[in-house]
Amino acid sequence: MEESAEKSKKHWHDRYYKYLLIIPLILILFSIVYMISFYQSNGDIFYKDISLTGGTTLTISEKLSANTLLEDLSGNLEDLNTREIYDLITGEQKAVVLETKTGSVETKEIVENYLGYQLTDENSSLEFTSSIFSENFYKQLLIAILIAFVFMAIVVFIIFRNLVPSVAVIISAFADILMTLVLANILGLKMSLGGIIAFLMLIGYSVDTDIMLTNRILKRTEGSLNERTFGAFKTGLTMTLTSLFAFAIALILVNSFSNVLAQIFTILVIGLGFDILNTWITNVSIIKWYMERKKP
Amino acid sequence: MVYGEKKAMKLKLGFKIWLVIIIVMLSLISIFITPHFMKKGVVIQSVEANSTAFIQGLRQEQVITAIDGKNIENLDDFTLALQGKYETNESVKTIFTTLNSEVILYTNKAPELTVSEISKTNLKLGLDLAGGARALVKAENKKLSAEEVNDLVDITRNRLNEFGLTDLTVRPVSDLEGNHFMLIEIAGATPNDLEEMLSQQGKFEAKIVNETVFIGGERDIASVCRNDATCAIIEGCQQSSDGNYYCNFRFSVYLSEAAAERHAEITDTLEVNSTAQGNYLSEKLDLYVDDNLIDSLLIGESLKGRVTTQISISGSASGETQDVAYDNAQKEMHKLQTILITGSLPYKLEITKLDTISPNLGKDFVKFILLAGIAALLVASIVVFIRYKKFKPSLMVILFSFSEVIIILGIASLIKWNLDLASIAGILATIGTGFDDQIVILDEAKQKTILSLKQRLKRAFTIIMGAYFTAVVSLIPLLWAGAGLFKGFAITTIIGISVGVFITRPAFSQVIKRIEK
Repeated sequence: MEESAEKSKKHWHDRYYKYLLIIPLILILFSIVYMISFYQSNGDIFYKDISLTGGTTLTISEKLSANTLLEDLSGNLEDLNTREIYDLITGEQKAVVLETKTGSVETKEIVENYLGYQLTDENSSLEFTSSIFSENFYKQLLIAILIAFVFMAIVVFIIFRNLVPSVAVIISAFADILMTLVLANILGLKMSLGGIIAFLMLIGYSVDTDIMLTNRILKRTEGSLNERTFGAFKTGLTMTLTSLFAFAIALILVNSFSNVLAQIFTILVIGLGFDILNTWITNVSIIKWYMERKKP
Repeated sequence: MVYGEKKAMKLKLGFKIWLVIIIVMLSLISIFITPHFMKKGVVIQSVEANSTAFIQGLRQEQVITAIDGKNIENLDDFTLALQGKYETNESVKTIFTTLNSEVILYTNKAPELTVSEISKTNLKLGLDLAGGARALVKAENKKLSAEEVNDLVDITRNRLNEFGLTDLTVRPVSDLEGNHFMLIEIAGATPNDLEEMLSQQGKFEAKIVNETVFIGGERDIASVCRNDATCAIIEGCQQSSDGNYYCNFRFSVYLSEAAAERHAEITDTLEVNSTAQGNYLSEKLDLYVDDNLIDSLLIGESLKGRVTTQISISGSASGETQDVAYDNAQKEMHKLQTILITGSLPYKLEITKLDTISPNLGKDFVKFILLAGIAALLVASIVVFIRYKKFKPSLMVILFSFSEVIIILGIASLIKWNLDLASIAGILATIGTGFDDQIVILDEAKQKTILSLKQRLKRAFTIIMGAYFTAVVSLIPLLWAGAGLFKGFAITTIIGISVGVFITRPAFSQVIKRIEK
């Protein structure tokens, strides 16, 4: 019973795997168009938060209402954003965070005047980045991701020494990053330094399953192509799902207190989701097509 | 023969597993055996240079075990023991018992030192978790060369040390574009005026009309009187008509021979004016800090043309109450003394990034991260268990992931790596990769082929090595990008996945071999 089910599944896949490629192709095309128009209207590839545009983040360890602060201080602090931080266990408010483009000294002064007491390192944390430095920093991180991607591609070529399968791996890694970027933009995520790091982590995670798949298909002879693919699918899905669930839980837990970690996890969860699609449709279809054509 | 082979094989199997066990043990030792292992007391973090406590022999890193015979086990004990002791202005006796000495102080104020509880591990938490300040500084309108930054680092370190900050690192960093910065990291509590202290160039000049008599720094200044009530004084506190209080400060400065002669030469040409308060020279000695006039001093008639090495510098500060004014005067004096000793920085500086993190928030942070980490590990384990439905291999996956974390932390404490938020993300990346690799091993071991288990596991390792190398190369650019602020992430991840690939994964596959057999 099970075997015949599997057989029909294989047949189904043999017949349609080329057409399946249409799904990622449409998504990639849509993503490219979306990104071009996004870039034209925003002048950048994503929305940036204070850590990338420059400005001040002030965390005050008091039970202050984020909304009240936003209402009262918006006039004085440029591009003000506020949010509250909660204790993970008790659910009690621990602090309030203010983000503004205004400089650190000025921000501190304005908030101190408003609150009527001094901000010290006992009751507050302050992070300031100058806008010139942020711009520079941001540019370099993008370059770092680019270099990382190129290095990764080179290693993939060295491992497989075979054009089409290597390109398949690189295309699916690229598609992962591109689609994640688009979804992050659609969700209106404001990218921080941590977010950029997450994209770098994503390169590593998305390539893992692709390498495993390509290795099983290319370098093995036992079993049919479909059997090897299905075996790799089972392994790969377990790999991705363990990470996906772990990051999802971590995201739920850190969401209330760490913006940086929350963003890293959000991007990883989105990215790993797309990785399932890109490894098991994009990559599988390309490499299967290649193997079928190579057959005498 | 066959038996012998089997035995040799068994021994080999054992070796890789034993290696992991030994390394985990060593890591635990590296994490938990601290210099003050099992001892009770508080550790001195810093002692104000030249304070009474310093002169009597109290130093950084010493462990205070008792004060006035009362045992000190934690910070509360320490605070309690000194509370209320120095309320009157009279000198009182305090006996500090440290691990190997006893120090007796007679003072009228609390000893100028900071202490912390003995840490239970050798792990050092980064600023974003433990609290502290970090500043990335560059020259304003000037691209610094590597040597220039090195000079800047030396002067700044010296200045901050003179200022009384000891638990700090100052080092040059550069980024991908070849920009050089100075990175300053201060652990624990941060002074409120750090920003000013760092960005202030501290160019001190004493001028008569437009001629420079002397400047700050060792060329012209032989020594500066500090922490000595006979030659560094705060006085004349009073309320002025605007309701604020003012306090004056005054301290002695000893000039070098050359500077003293310059002073004699310049004053020799000046005339003497007679006033009701006494006879003074016709021009004043103007004191400038960063080109701002901070004070003008009358020069007594007796100093005309004389080679004098001792000069008294004075100034004043205000405040809403007398106490605030007094404190401000003390701070101002301290700042002036510091820049007189250390001299001017060669450039005008600009702070490009400044983070000051409250130590209080950091503590909760660590707690939450641990919690989130455990939850994530648990969920990942459940997925593994659902997939394999076997208890033993699933347990092994968790056990080996856990041992990897211990080894990373062990290495971190060995090389005194500061664990910051980025490093935690790195540990996370490692655990994720570890899970992935172990799943690959488990699945390869399960495959039904004519290949031996050993060959199948070897295949698993070609996949793992491929993934490993792509991960390592993709992390390399981060070592330099953005002035190395994400070096923590890159290094922790590289250490972590290397430990995994070369130490724990081989052992894991041996364990699986045994279970599968």
